[in-house]
Amino acid sequence: MAVPLNAAKAKSRKLPTSRSSVSLKRMMSNRYLYLMLLPTVLYFLIFEYKPMYGAVIAFKDFNPFAGVAGSPWVGFKNFEKFFESYYFFRLLKNTFLMSFYSLLFIFPASLAFALLLNELRLKKLKSFLQTVSYLPHFISLIVICGMIIDFTKPGGIINSLLLGIGFITEPIQFLILPEWFRTIYVGSGMWQSLGWNSIIYLAALSGINPSLYEAAVVDGAGRWKQLTHITLPGILPTVLILLILNVGTLLNVGWDKIILLYNPGTYVTADVISTFVYRRGVMEADYSFSAAVGLFNSIINFTLLVLANRISRKTTESSLW
Amino acid sequence: MNAAKRKLALLLPVMTLLATLVSACGGTNNNAGSAAEPSASPGTQGSTSAPVEGSRSVGGLQVPIVADKLEFSLWSPSGGNFRGTNFNEKLSFQQMEENTNIHINFQHSTEASAEAFSLLMSSGKLPDIIYNDLWGTDSGKYGAKGALLPLEDLIDQYAPNFKKILDGHPDIRGQITSPEGHIYYLPNLVLDSQDLTQMFPQVRSDWLEKLGLPMPQTTEDWYNMLKAFREQDPNGNGKKDEIPLVTVNLENIMMLFAPAFGVEYGFFVDNGQVKYGPNDPRFKDVVVYLNRLYKEQLLDPNYLVDTTFQTLTEKVTTDVAGAWFGWSGSYMGNFTTLMEGKHDTFKIAAAVPPKGPNGDQRHVSFRWQAGAHGLAVSSKTAHPEEVMKWLDYQYSEEGILLNNFGVEGKSYDLVNGEPVYKDEVTHPTNGLTNTQELLNHTIGGGSWATVADTRYAEQIREANGQTENPLEIYKDYIDFDAKLPPVQFTAEENEIVVPLMADIQTYVAETINAQIMGRQSFDDYNKVMKQLEQMGIGEVLKQYQAAYERFKGK
Repeated sequence: MAVPLNAAKAKSRKLPTSRSSVSLKRMMSNRYLYLMLLPTVLYFLIFEYKPMYGAVIAFKDFNPFAGVAGSPWVGFKNFEKFFESYYFFRLLKNTFLMSFYSLLFIFPASLAFALLLNELRLKKLKSFLQTVSYLPHFISLIVICGMIIDFTKPGGIINSLLLGIGFITEPIQFLILPEWFRTIYVGSGMWQSLGWNSIIYLAALSGINPSLYEAAVVDGAGRWKQLTHITLPGILPTVLILLILNVGTLLNVGWDKIILLYNPGTYVTADVISTFVYRRGVMEADYSFSAAVGLFNSIINFTLLVLANRISRKTTESSLW
Repeated sequence: MNAAKRKLALLLPVMTLLATLVSACGGTNNNAGSAAEPSASPGTQGSTSAPVEGSRSVGGLQVPIVADKLEFSLWSPSGGNFRGTNFNEKLSFQQMEENTNIHINFQHSTEASAEAFSLLMSSGKLPDIIYNDLWGTDSGKYGAKGALLPLEDLIDQYAPNFKKILDGHPDIRGQITSPEGHIYYLPNLVLDSQDLTQMFPQVRSDWLEKLGLPMPQTTEDWYNMLKAFREQDPNGNGKKDEIPLVTVNLENIMMLFAPAFGVEYGFFVDNGQVKYGPNDPRFKDVVVYLNRLYKEQLLDPNYLVDTTFQTLTEKVTTDVAGAWFGWSGSYMGNFTTLMEGKHDTFKIAAAVPPKGPNGDQRHVSFRWQAGAHGLAVSSKTAHPEEVMKWLDYQYSEEGILLNNFGVEGKSYDLVNGEPVYKDEVTHPTNGLTNTQELLNHTIGGGSWATVADTRYAEQIREANGQTENPLEIYKDYIDFDAKLPPVQFTAEENEIVVPLMADIQTYVAETINAQIMGRQSFDDYNKVMKQLEQMGIGEVLKQYQAAYERFKGK
């Protein structure tokens, strides 16, 4: 790990032009390291940066048989079509809320889960719980959605449970009631990703110097004081970075899960930008329109990312760049 | 961890993230620029018009089509009932290759999904021949983009069999011609009018008998029947678990009831005027009626969630479903076979389309002679002439027999000159249903660019114990002038219709379902119509009217 890090470090450091000959010399002396970096750089150029060229079809009337270059330019027409859509604001709101609630509930829950696991003394119990909590992450989404449909049925386990304890008197048709959709989406999302999301925190936790805890114990700090004075400050940078990254994806929702769970009864809360684009763009083979919406999404996400990063840098000195 | 290291460790994920964010919308252009290269044959290049030595005529078409074997690629979903992996496993295609000396490289997608087709078309790399369920409306669009080969001249020159059918049935030409006057696909054809009916109302007639009820004739009869199913325990298990009316989607329920109130859920024609059902004041009556069914739990309360055929089959075979709107084979025949020996009285009967309070009575689930499904040819094919000849072969008497019945002596025998399926096909002992077994032998006349042989459906139906043709009774209720024909739009019309309808369909699906479920009041249905007006239904109808009149003028 140290080798590519050094190479990257050498590259990332800003060197004044007057010292360019020095840096060239340094590059020469590290040439094998640069060579090893090359495949990664190529990967990004070929598979991540080159396809960005395809985004120009957002400004064209794309016809696959004429090719990207051969399709006529149409300016912002595809964007206008999207903004003029009767449901534009509802789609924006639904998309944002769905992501926001996921962030609001799942993000702290994963953190709390990691902290709880970290406090466990029994190593065996800890790894058992970890494994169990990762499992849902590996189940195919289509199976997950099948399970959700079965569980939320009028005769399903959730209704039976609620009826059994007398919480309700009539079964609730969860999946056709718009007011339940976000709860189901976020709730099942939490079950799916809680364990998986906690991995990165556990990794950060294990990076905290144990001698700090020993010192704290000597100073008479209890578990709670250790948590608030050592553990939390120790992983705060990681938490913030993850938060920034999450904010940067606020307009990306797991549309495949929504497609599998929504229906006209729940459009009011469940119809998001990507599901609308799916019905409108892919099914109608209107790729330019889909690309325009995707680009719009990316721009908003990118803006949010930059903003969140700036706020974080100003207030906590942790930031992506 | 010092600050510099932390930043470095994060550099990579950030780069990845940025890149994926933007590339997510650029992913559609893969290969778009590269020209398609359909499979060329190893032997002959170019076309040879001279007949092959030792050839014979099949309705005017000389076979074998070529002296040296040619290969074409053909894209087609393989369909849910086919148990093999490649259509070349079907004996009919093996025989066809022998007869025509053309080998087909089948490219299959397992699901007949619009996405799979969309992705194929967007790749810009097309096989020689492409199957699609929706060529009826899509072929003009893709043809105008230059993806498909206009076939009308090739038909005149090289397709004597298909041309003969076109000349004998003048309506068909109009049904497959694009607004610009081109033919871009060869359709599945049904030439006998009693075979045009598709789905129809089906009722558990043994339940009716048990409860002493007659077959329903009117919408009120239907209400009373469903009510009796719900309340009088026709399955006799002592529980109120009957779901009187089941469906996989609202559209089927609408096809059952909306015509009784003089409308349809989508576009229809009323005295030469194209109308949109939900935008018609009469549509309120449909909503009121369905709301009554829903409120009293006569319509499956879970109809919005249970949208797979599997869940519907489960409800029918567990003896809780009483009525539905479905196909003759996959519903009626299939359920009857599944319940054979498991239920003493299980019987399904076809009901006439219900008559509404104002005397409206119409059956709307029927197809046109030219189906929307069929085969189109890529504009990049290297052998347009041979492809056309191979397609024409599908419509020759020999080809029709192969596609409907398979290979003589293998899946059928000629009895007095008539093809009759062998017993192994109609009553397979290998655990397959006869539909599945038949698909091991041939493609099935109803789902290919060929003519559906009426004897094919008849024999399968009789093998399933249905002696009468349930489709017969709908002949009198079919009104060709009231159903919107498969009109095609010009690019400009499409430009207007698609974005407006995306919003309108969202609004209608949401509103109508909410009103049926009683979550939204339908007292003031004018509001819905006003809203549709605002969303541009008038503009959409103008385009439909123009396309319809163009169609009629053809």
